[in-house]
Amino acid sequence: MSVWGALAGGFAGTLVLTTTLRTANELRLTRIDLPFLLGTALTADRTRAKAAGYVLHFVFGLLFALVYYAIFRAIGHDGWWLGAVFGAVHGLFAATALVNILLPLVHPRMGSPLTRAGTVALLEPPGFLMLNYGLQTPLANLLAHIAYGTIVGGFVSLAG
Amino acid sequence: MEAAPARRVDGYAPLRDYAVIGDGRTVALVARDGSIDWLPLPYLDSATAFAAILDRDRGGSFQLEPDEPYAVERRYLPETNVLETSFRTAGGAVRVTDALTLDGGGLAPFAELQRRVDGLAGRVPLRWRVEPRFGYGGAAVGFGRRLEHPVATAGSDALGLVTFDAGEVEERQSGWNGRFEATAGSSALLALTYAHLEPLVFPARGELDARLEQTNATWRRWARARVYDGPWREQVIRSALALKLLVFAPSGAIAAAATTSLPEEIGGKRNWDYRYSWIRDSAFTIAAFLRLGCAAEAEAYFWWLMHATQLTAPRLHVLYRLDGGIRTPEQELPLDGYRGSRPVNIGNGAAEQLQLDTYGELLQTAWLYAAAGHRIDPDVGRRLAGLADFVCEHWREPDSGIWEVRSDPVHFTQSKMMCAVALDRACALAGRGLVPRRRLDAWRAEAAAARQFVETNCWSEEKRSYVRFAGGDELDASVLLAVLHEYADARDERMRATVDAIARGLASGPFVRRYTGEDGVPGSEGAFLACSFWLVEAFARGGRHDEAAELMAQLLALRNDVGLYSEEIDPASGEFLGNLPQGLTHLALISAAVALAEETG
Repeated sequence: MSVWGALAGGFAGTLVLTTTLRTANELRLTRIDLPFLLGTALTADRTRAKAAGYVLHFVFGLLFALVYYAIFRAIGHDGWWLGAVFGAVHGLFAATALVNILLPLVHPRMGSPLTRAGTVALLEPPGFLMLNYGLQTPLANLLAHIAYGTIVGGFVSLAG
Repeated sequence: MEAAPARRVDGYAPLRDYAVIGDGRTVALVARDGSIDWLPLPYLDSATAFAAILDRDRGGSFQLEPDEPYAVERRYLPETNVLETSFRTAGGAVRVTDALTLDGGGLAPFAELQRRVDGLAGRVPLRWRVEPRFGYGGAAVGFGRRLEHPVATAGSDALGLVTFDAGEVEERQSGWNGRFEATAGSSALLALTYAHLEPLVFPARGELDARLEQTNATWRRWARARVYDGPWREQVIRSALALKLLVFAPSGAIAAAATTSLPEEIGGKRNWDYRYSWIRDSAFTIAAFLRLGCAAEAEAYFWWLMHATQLTAPRLHVLYRLDGGIRTPEQELPLDGYRGSRPVNIGNGAAEQLQLDTYGELLQTAWLYAAAGHRIDPDVGRRLAGLADFVCEHWREPDSGIWEVRSDPVHFTQSKMMCAVALDRACALAGRGLVPRRRLDAWRAEAAAARQFVETNCWSEEKRSYVRFAGGDELDASVLLAVLHEYADARDERMRATVDAIARGLASGPFVRRYTGEDGVPGSEGAFLACSFWLVEAFARGGRHDEAAELMAQLLALRNDVGLYSEEIDPASGEFLGNLPQGLTHLALISAAVALAEETG
């Protein structure tokens, strides 16, 4: 079990997660775009938002991999299957709380139940399970996060 | 501008009643009664969100009009593609400003349609209804609300409606309705925002106002940068602005028109998808861009041409998708069609025809581009030489011709003329060292042979004209292109006689038919407007300036209230027919105006 394995897994896992969601996009299954959601918290410029969003997304991917690593260490177990379970929990957390409730509260351009008449454009909030972005969004999101967790768990185990 | 009531026949506005707005990626058609009846999203060649022009019941539209009898007049804001519609009722007056907005700061939606309603006098009750449909009216649409804004979703596409002072939004029968009253000095706003593969953006009023202002300023800046200051400047610049809406900004390609399947005959079957880029139009397009000082557009278009044709070189497809792709299979949509004109087609089956004239047009394009001082790199030069070699090998074959007939291929005169032009231009480019010279002698010999073929087989002493195809006796207005693309001088005896024959045999007043004889498609069609402008240019180049100016004046009187043309006009009723706005018509207008300006100095 090594922290470098976790970081490598975090990078590869984020790559796969992003690609999976993008593919679901192109297959017309969902309108979710995590780099766009993250980047527009920093800038209203679409091009810069996407670029910054990708960087932020990878940073978060690495941070979550470190959290996975800390839990693996704490419980003394790791492996791709345990990573897959973590990924599923992570995906559910993202859809129900992280992106659904927490992101709108801190995102300066995303509407939340507390939003009042403003002067800036507002992004469409994701809604419960991010269903606002399409009926297949929860499934695509869950599968993408399971893939992420599996890769992080596998890399941590391999780097053991 | 003249205020008049708007009218509909069987629920369809006359095609003449449509104005166009756009953002360089897609366009919307706005009828005189304020209904937006056409809007493909996200791109001009995508499936539609509004297509009531092709099916009043299933297509979808965005209606906005006074709730009492009115007269209407319209204009574009000067030097812009922002439309202003003024409604006058017994109780007051109101002005609607429509735009698909351009970049303008802030977090803008993927695409944004703004409809701003300013009260001018008295009180005017207005009603509006949005019927968002996706997939040409065939997709399942989900309706809901986000942050109190109504939204409609289908797959990875979504439309949201943001309103300010435009009344309560009611959801009814798969659409949104509202009513409000405009009073002098009031300002309401309805903005339709679109998301493709991403969350929707709901703009604030301040950002919307700023973006509309910026959109106006951007269009004005573009129009003022055009260098033409000859006669009919206003109409030439309006044509340039219409063409700019057909330029697909992401690639530089130019669509032949903004619509599909608007009929060439009401109730007829001649209904085609024109949302592709035709090589046929390339020489006119590059010439217009260069003459109007659109160097950036010319460069983008030339590189798009070279990129798109690379996939099929040395053989050219007749048309390419706006992204440069070549697959354009024809498919019939389950829509009623404009006033019952079925089929409604998407895709275009003419793509894989052999049309030999396209080689002449592409090499003429390269020649004009190079002559204007633009660079042609060695790789492109080799491909142009490959085109010339292809012409040498194939010019003796029959083809489908510039008009894409669906009857059996024949030896069309205009195709052979353009083969000669292709080889002449290849020789000229080789003379400048821009294409390899290794087959120069063969190109010269084959150019002479093609000319010999035309002069021997395609000239009729009886008709005193070049005829439609070798050995025939039918007339074809496309042979006027021999003058425009410099196959022959307009003062040449045979050309002068041909211009006379076409003026006598195909023209009736300002209206010119494309040809006589069969083309393999049932039904008839109206007068083809581009041919009329070609006749103006042929008159002008032949020194017949008065005839040219008179015909030009008649043709300009045929434009609609905002200066646009479709493909054809019904000579009997003056109604527009075919897809609109039609790039070739506007290109021909610019070319004719420039020719007259040059000839009359």
